Amino acid sequence: MNRQTYVVLASGGALLVLLVVLHLGVGSVSLTPGEVLRVVLDQADQPLHRQIVWELRLPRALIAIVAGTLLGLAGALLQTIMRNPLAEPGLTGVSAGGVFFAVLWLTRGGTMAEPGRTLPFVALAGGLAASGLVLLMARSRSGNTDPVRLVLAGVLVSAILSSATTFVLVRNNQSLGGILTWMIGSLNGRVWIHWNVLWPWAAFALPVGLLCAGVANALQLGDSIAASIGVPVERARLALLAVAALLAASAVAVVGAVGFVGLIGSHLTRRLVGDDARCVFPGSVIITAVLLVGADVAAQIITLNPPFATTPYRAGLPVGAVTALLGAPFFLYLLRRSSS
Amino acid sequence: MSDATPAMALAAEQISAGYDRRTVLADLSVGISRGTVTALVGPNGSGKSTLLKTLARLLQLSAGAVYLDGKAIARMPTAAVARTLAVLPQGPTAPADLTVAELVEQGRYPHVGPLRMLRRQDHIAITEALTLTNTAQFADRPVDSLSGGERQRVWLALALAQSTPILLLDEPTTFLDIGHQIEVLDLVCSLNRNHGKTIIMVLHDLNHAARYADRMIALRAGQIIADGPPVTVLTPALLEQVFGVRATVLIDPITQAPVCLPYGVIKPGDPTPC
Repeated sequence: MNRQTYVVLASGGALLVLLVVLHLGVGSVSLTPGEVLRVVLDQADQPLHRQIVWELRLPRALIAIVAGTLLGLAGALLQTIMRNPLAEPGLTGVSAGGVFFAVLWLTRGGTMAEPGRTLPFVALAGGLAASGLVLLMARSRSGNTDPVRLVLAGVLVSAILSSATTFVLVRNNQSLGGILTWMIGSLNGRVWIHWNVLWPWAAFALPVGLLCAGVANALQLGDSIAASIGVPVERARLALLAVAALLAASAVAVVGAVGFVGLIGSHLTRRLVGDDARCVFPGSVIITAVLLVGADVAAQIITLNPPFATTPYRAGLPVGAVTALLGAPFFLYLLRRSSS
Repeated sequence: MSDATPAMALAAEQISAGYDRRTVLADLSVGISRGTVTALVGPNGSGKSTLLKTLARLLQLSAGAVYLDGKAIARMPTAAVARTLAVLPQGPTAPADLTVAELVEQGRYPHVGPLRMLRRQDHIAITEALTLTNTAQFADRPVDSLSGGERQRVWLALALAQSTPILLLDEPTTFLDIGHQIEVLDLVCSLNRNHGKTIIMVLHDLNHAARYADRMIALRAGQIIADGPPVTVLTPALLEQVFGVRATVLIDPITQAPVCLPYGVIKPGDPTPC
């Protein structure tokens, strides 16, 4: 790793700690950073503080961090495999597939009330199934999956699954509330039960994803060069895509289809550390976690002080709405950069 | 493998290959001796790049086999091939912010694998590749910030970092000005003379091929039309037959290599000689 990467990892880590302290303090019961620290050190001023932080806010913050790292690594992986700066976790079909399966399950009598039990697994299955479909479609008859076909297949499968989701919802006259926030991606109401679903996947997928950097480096030089230096290109690309899908699906299963963070995080990282995957991957893990935690802090602040309403929103603003808001100016920035 | 003895560094036996359903090479055989410089020449679409790609196992064969040191290349692990044979394909592109050092380091992939760290011999090979190609001074600059000639030398350094006895180059001088063309070809030549590398390259410029290669192979429509030392291949008759041009062939007084000067194109209606 180069020097910039160490700087990014250190300052990103420090920023993450700061944001987590803010995150633990924000909410209908507001805590100062000092109060938060005392609670974390088990010297809470009031039992209520202890309960709020340990039972509600800490799991939510942890989930935000880990979901961010998963999405950031998935985005960085996909950008190198697809050799496309606009590639993001959603392009694997993972988000659309996860949402579709979740909606199917919910309309067949499933419930969000005990979300830790079944819903994440349903979504995970959906996400992996959809990315499998993307892979199958991207393979040409001669068995090659070139990056452009992958992007097209990803867009196509996602579009079809999204319209299927709408179809199911309309047909069942479902009240959109709970499902809608899930489709946008939300951290509201995420507690330890969700954390228990998330961490085992993350503990497996994150190290595997980071170890893919060497192969990803070879693949981003193009198929001919990669083959020439001894990479079995097709097998390597399929394996890396499967890892990216697993990373994204584990995040989507718990927080829903949060958009853009994976894209923005890995892009920012590239600007800071260059294009060597061994620097981009760990950098993107930290930076995207910072972005998602930061976006969730913003979402909660907006929820408490709604700009266009006199009373606070009953349901919290989903974090996916904030990241989507970040996405638009970011695309403008990319557009300007590529035209210059 | 009747003709291919291990004396041949690389041999193709009755190979057919192409893209989708279009066959470019049909039933072609060729053997490359160790320590030689071979130039593949021919008009556009003659199959010279296709032949290079099949020799480098970058393109699947529909029939026949390619042998590397007497072993069927298709059955060798791709990393083992990459330790013996390096290829520089046409027009490679790198991500914009990758530095020269990071790029050239990738050449060690077949030696260290995807997970392991670089060892001392890897750093030595990288430094040597950078020095030979005179690119060490760019090591920390992004590949994208270099000029065309510098960039081509960096890609060549990547192939050299593989430390292979065989080097395959697909039009290494395209898009370079004449000075940089000669620079690259001189480097290739010295890799052969001083380091004993076996070199096979596709060249568009016939005079460069005649000047730098020990052996010229002229292809047309997927067939080998002529094969031998430049003086026997670069002749007016061959230029008419393969390229459809009328040309004078002289001997360069300094290098003693044949030089062709085309002066006309043969039109479809013209009677073809020989």
